[in-house]
Amino acid sequence: MREISHKIEARGVEKVFSADSEDEVQALGPLDLQIQDGEFVCLVGPSGCGKSTFLRIVAGLLNPTVGQVDITIKPDKPSPISMVFQDYGIYPWKTVEGNIRFGLEISGIPKSEAKEITEHWLERMDLKAFAGAYPDTLSGGMRQRVAIARALAVEPEILLMDEPFAALDAQLRQLLQDELLTIWQNEQRTVLFVTHSLEEAIVLGDRVIVMSARPGKVVLDQKVPFERPRSPELRTQSDFNEFKNELWICLKGEVEHYLERINSVEKKIGNNNEG
Amino acid sequence: MKDEVKTDRELLSRLPTLADSNPRKYNKRRKLIETGLAVGVPASLIALWQLGFHYEWIDNRFYASPWEIVTSKKLREAELWSELWTSVQRMLKGFFAGSFLGILLGVLMGVSRLIRAALDSLLTALYTVPKLALIPVFVTLFGFGDLPRIALIAVTVFFFVWISTMSAIMGVEDGYREAALSFGASKWQIFRHVLFPGALPQIFVGLRIAAGVAVLILIGVELVLASDGLGALIEKGRTLFLPELTYVGIALSALLGLTFTYLVRILGRALVPWAPEDQTPNQN
Repeated sequence: MREISHKIEARGVEKVFSADSEDEVQALGPLDLQIQDGEFVCLVGPSGCGKSTFLRIVAGLLNPTVGQVDITIKPDKPSPISMVFQDYGIYPWKTVEGNIRFGLEISGIPKSEAKEITEHWLERMDLKAFAGAYPDTLSGGMRQRVAIARALAVEPEILLMDEPFAALDAQLRQLLQDELLTIWQNEQRTVLFVTHSLEEAIVLGDRVIVMSARPGKVVLDQKVPFERPRSPELRTQSDFNEFKNELWICLKGEVEHYLERINSVEKKIGNNNEG
Repeated sequence: MKDEVKTDRELLSRLPTLADSNPRKYNKRRKLIETGLAVGVPASLIALWQLGFHYEWIDNRFYASPWEIVTSKKLREAELWSELWTSVQRMLKGFFAGSFLGILLGVLMGVSRLIRAALDSLLTALYTVPKLALIPVFVTLFGFGDLPRIALIAVTVFFFVWISTMSAIMGVEDGYREAALSFGASKWQIFRHVLFPGALPQIFVGLRIAAGVAVLILIGVELVLASDGLGALIEKGRTLFLPELTYVGIALSALLGLTFTYLVRILGRALVPWAPEDQTPNQN
């Protein structure tokens, strides 16, 4: 008997993508990782290191090629896991309200209750005035608010966020980070957050995990040394920047590996074309 | 061995399936199943049909069996192939004329709001007229030769291609257009480098649907307005009480439709290699 002590436990997870032909790309791993209940974990790493792939495996959208991920959840909950995507997550053919209610409908929550919860999140995310609007008429920031509200409305035990703020401008990004911070500090749940931004990872996370260039492995697993509740002013503290630099040195090495490989691949392609 | 789980907890495991741990084997197997289905389903239906004759569930005075169709003497007569050739020529002429006009008008209306304003409601109204109802008009217009038949096919094809071309041109992302505009591209350059290639995948969807429709109309018009061609052959089988003839005609028109849509699809794939394969229902 193995005792279940982690919320999410990845053991020897690898993912290999193979096109139709012979060429295979190992995108991930082997990756071992434990995440505790209620922990906010941020994954950072160079492009293509498989951090989104890992998120998708946890979400059940992809299966690992080797290894396994175990997730402990309470039984009888219709939506134990929900995910916020970078874009395309919300449906253009549903109104803001309809989008937020979507997850609840899928989970089979009774109509009146679903309506109440939707109302709550419309208010909470400052979307009340746009309840009947279609996403196409909203700004990017608004749309992402809708996506977050939709994911949180089902009260998931685990929230997965795949670069949710990457498409937003810097100011908006910071604003939504602060909002997420407030929400999470009020009702803690396990969050797995993929981002390119170290600052974002440090402001939000309990732990920052730096992944290597492809195939992604854990190269650094660091607790964020800042007390909660955190305030947005954290970003201006001097020790914040020290910590950020510390992580950057580690991440920089991986990004350089990534660039080197890209270059060598391009050279190879170039040579093949000449030859 | 199963994990023992406390009652208030449940374990969700993400594990590799065969598709993940051995994709090559999985793909091979899936391909085999798909091919098996593509061949097996029609083959067993034909077998059932043949069986129906064998056990006399089906009256062989009015219907022909697959075996009779395949072994029909008609198939070995040169006359039949000239009927088929006649039909193919009509269909191709109609299809190309209709496609050309459809693409032309679709492009013009997709690009220009004014032309669209002028013609949109008119064409939409005409679109809904059943084309076979136009036979008397076309005969008056084009006389009794092959022209009214070809025109009818062309008109039908035209509408399908026109609508898909117009919406495809209008649906090209603004971002693509703007990127070209920022280089100072002229209207023609935008059309040639952006709008037309951007719309081409969708245009081919229209062409493929139109290819099937061309065969439909071909047989329809030959049934009522021709003394030669596959449609006429089918009708002749009925009036002369030769079910075999009718069924040879039907089988050949089905094969014609299959071959023609397939050819249009191959052409599409060769001309738009960047587009993902479209999902319109079709033979695979």
